[in-house]
Amino acid sequence: MVSHRIKAMRARYSFILLLVLLLPFLSHAQATASAPHLSVQLVVPPSQIYPGQNFTAGLYFKLEPGWHVYWINAGDSGEPPVIRWTLPPGVTAGTMQFPAPKRLPLGPLMDFGYENEVLFPIPISVASDFKPATPTVAFGGKVTWLVCREVCLPGSTTLSVDRPASASAPASPGVVSADQTLIDRFRSTLPQPLPSDYAAKFQTTSKGFTLTVQTGHRETSAEFFPFDQNILANAAPQLVTYLRNGVEISLTKDENLTAIPQELHGLVVLGDGRAYEFRATPGVLNLAANQMPATGMLRIVLLAFIGGVILNLMPCVFPVLFLKGLALVQSSAEERRKQRLHGLVYTLGILVSFWVIVAILLALRSAGHNLGWGFQFQSPLFIVLLSLLLFFLGLSLAGQFEIGLTLTSTGSGLAAKQGYEGSFFTGILAVVVATPCTAPFMGAAVGYALAASATVTILIFTALALGLAAPYLLLAFNPAWTRLLPRPGAWMEVLKQAVSIPIFGTVIWLVWVFNQTAAAGSLVFLLTAFLLLAIAGWILGRWPAKAPATIAAVLVLTLAVAVPVWALHAFAPSKITHAENSNSLWQPYTPQLVAKYRAEGKAVFIDFTASWCLSCQVNERVVLDRADVQQALKSSGIELIRADWTRHDETIADALAALGRSGVPTYVLYPADPNAPARLLPEVLTPGIVFRALDELKSPPVTANSRP
Amino acid sequence: MIRRLALALAFTVALPAFAARVGESAPAFTGTDTNGQTHSLADYHGKYVVLEWTNKDCPYTRAQYSSDNMQALQKEWTAKGVVWLTILSSAPGQQGYMTAAEENEWIKKVHADPTTAILDPTGIIGRAYEAKTTPHMFVIDPSGKLIYDGAIDDHPTTDPSDVDKSHNYVSAALTEAMSGQSVANAYTRPYGCSVKYANEGE
Repeated sequence: MVSHRIKAMRARYSFILLLVLLLPFLSHAQATASAPHLSVQLVVPPSQIYPGQNFTAGLYFKLEPGWHVYWINAGDSGEPPVIRWTLPPGVTAGTMQFPAPKRLPLGPLMDFGYENEVLFPIPISVASDFKPATPTVAFGGKVTWLVCREVCLPGSTTLSVDRPASASAPASPGVVSADQTLIDRFRSTLPQPLPSDYAAKFQTTSKGFTLTVQTGHRETSAEFFPFDQNILANAAPQLVTYLRNGVEISLTKDENLTAIPQELHGLVVLGDGRAYEFRATPGVLNLAANQMPATGMLRIVLLAFIGGVILNLMPCVFPVLFLKGLALVQSSAEERRKQRLHGLVYTLGILVSFWVIVAILLALRSAGHNLGWGFQFQSPLFIVLLSLLLFFLGLSLAGQFEIGLTLTSTGSGLAAKQGYEGSFFTGILAVVVATPCTAPFMGAAVGYALAASATVTILIFTALALGLAAPYLLLAFNPAWTRLLPRPGAWMEVLKQAVSIPIFGTVIWLVWVFNQTAAAGSLVFLLTAFLLLAIAGWILGRWPAKAPATIAAVLVLTLAVAVPVWALHAFAPSKITHAENSNSLWQPYTPQLVAKYRAEGKAVFIDFTASWCLSCQVNERVVLDRADVQQALKSSGIELIRADWTRHDETIADALAALGRSGVPTYVLYPADPNAPARLLPEVLTPGIVFRALDELKSPPVTANSRP
Repeated sequence: MIRRLALALAFTVALPAFAARVGESAPAFTGTDTNGQTHSLADYHGKYVVLEWTNKDCPYTRAQYSSDNMQALQKEWTAKGVVWLTILSSAPGQQGYMTAAEENEWIKKVHADPTTAILDPTGIIGRAYEAKTTPHMFVIDPSGKLIYDGAIDDHPTTDPSDVDKSHNYVSAALTEAMSGQSVANAYTRPYGCSVKYANEGE
């Protein structure tokens, strides 16, 4: 009984289907045909056909709401429309072009296609020896398509358009305005080839690809559509990072893809519906750098210079500058020429050490490491050596012993020397202690430099170096200003001893950093080393310039260095303690966590920090941990994430690089809208800045999101 | 070390627990057929298994059945000892959803000859295999390894007359695997209508 009814139903259904399919053949083929859920029209703009003519025809679909036809790569299901032409002799049609599609989610699947209406342009060319056999010629074709909502219906029809033909080109070619209007209206929906000042590259990641498209602008939205099938997991969300002059899109690869593709051929659809077609090749795109106009380049170099000058005022450099200022005071009796030479040698010391750092950075970068400024402070060994050096220097300044008489081999000894070597090594010392201070201005410059070509990197670091050297150089070159300096006298000894205070302060900071990075038990060995240094200093001070005493001092010094270095080595396997933030407001950073919150539509604030970064600590203590700021953060419902870069962490380095930064502090605020661009807050925070940023989150500027 | 381990762990959890991937173990599943019997993939260890996602009202599936191609394949391969499971993942109310009785009726009517038809209205099996279309075909070898994932053939059309001209990927995969060769086209883009899954979270 049931089967009988089904059979009857199916028979009726088949009959209707047959009728629908045959309908076009029964009547004379026309330019427009109606079919279930859509109408389709063949659009032929010229009012006359003549030899040598080139024009764009089109296939226009108008769809019922909710129904869609497909892009050239239909995605997980579906098929694109096809036209099989019947054209007069001498007329040829090019391949059908596909406007930028939309992502059409369907449960766990993702299709690519068009809703509402779409026009597929088709280039037509008429041969120069075209001879019309009849007064009118017919442009015809059989169009087949698949139209889907939840269900899919295949369709086909035959369309035909008649146009008068002539054997020669008319004086003024006319157009059928309705058809031309239609073609023109959809012209902007066609993807363009990637402009010459744009670029696209991709890198392989563990889950798929990171596609970087340089556009020269900060974009507002971006979606990638692959031409090739079976490359990407179509339904996977595309995580977009908006950069200063482009976008970075995280793509998830197809589960079955095993070989890395030679290229990613596809479309990127940006804000305002701008769409570009490209074939991205593997590689890294220096988004911050490429194609930068000369003025922008100059600005960055200038910023680097200013950043360098400001570095002189940073707490970690100031003691060294002061030390050098002291040396200048001592040398104010010297000839002018000599002073200039000292200034130049000091500058050279800074330049050389910056160049050495650049060389190391470039070498490491090419080796695939992604290091940022201040990375040396992530090495406990470096911290040990620097703190020992500064502590020993502090002892000497405080008056425990005279440096430079017997010890000339260590850096501090050299730095304290009166000669040109002294100036040179003071320059180096200034650089060594200055690097972790990512002052305002400098973050951008270094980020730019590290992402840029080798030449640009060297240029920027040179500007930074000159900026750092400038104040002292100026002083050395300007005799008038030198005369302003106080005359040498007894006060110098007082000053020298006073300088030891900030030096010891720096040592305390370094010990604290060491405690954050090294294993818990190794701190006592570093402190022991300080005691050994003090003993060595005492020996040197008690028996100055005596060979046995000097030998004893050197032995103790060697021991002082050996003890913490050994401790580091011995405790290395148990280096598992990580600087955990006791503050439960902050969640430790993982890219997955950020992606998760963003996918959930939550606003996210990330604090990129490190314990060796003084500005970070200041921002946290003075701003982020303030009661009212904490309250505001809590009540705003933002997910707070702290990315602790105290120890070198590749994922955090990657995240910083993606933001166009290479150092900390970096503060980034992601609005709740997953497509909205990330916002970088300044490197020096105030409560006001945080409050304003939170207010803007609550009432974001209204953006028109008019999707067809 | 622990940090790295934790990261690796977080990464694993983020991935779907079972993902169908050619060359790896096929996701395990248990389903109920149109006669109320339960079938597990594990039951067929030692045999070749073909999974066919179907939706009788999908034009692409219809092309395969109205040309008698699918029925012929089912007869040919089940006769050679292959287990052929037709799977229906359409959610209730969606196109292609069938009760057990309706599906049995339909099988009789079109003379289909699968080992059995499994009803998967919740889409659990479909999602485990990431079945995208009807038809979407999978071939599993006797060791339980997935050896083919993709389209039924190389002609993505709804025209039954195209079926004869097509190169059938499922037959090719079974023939190659049974003669000890590796499957030449182990992964193709499945074509057809989307599987009519129940909407998530609704």
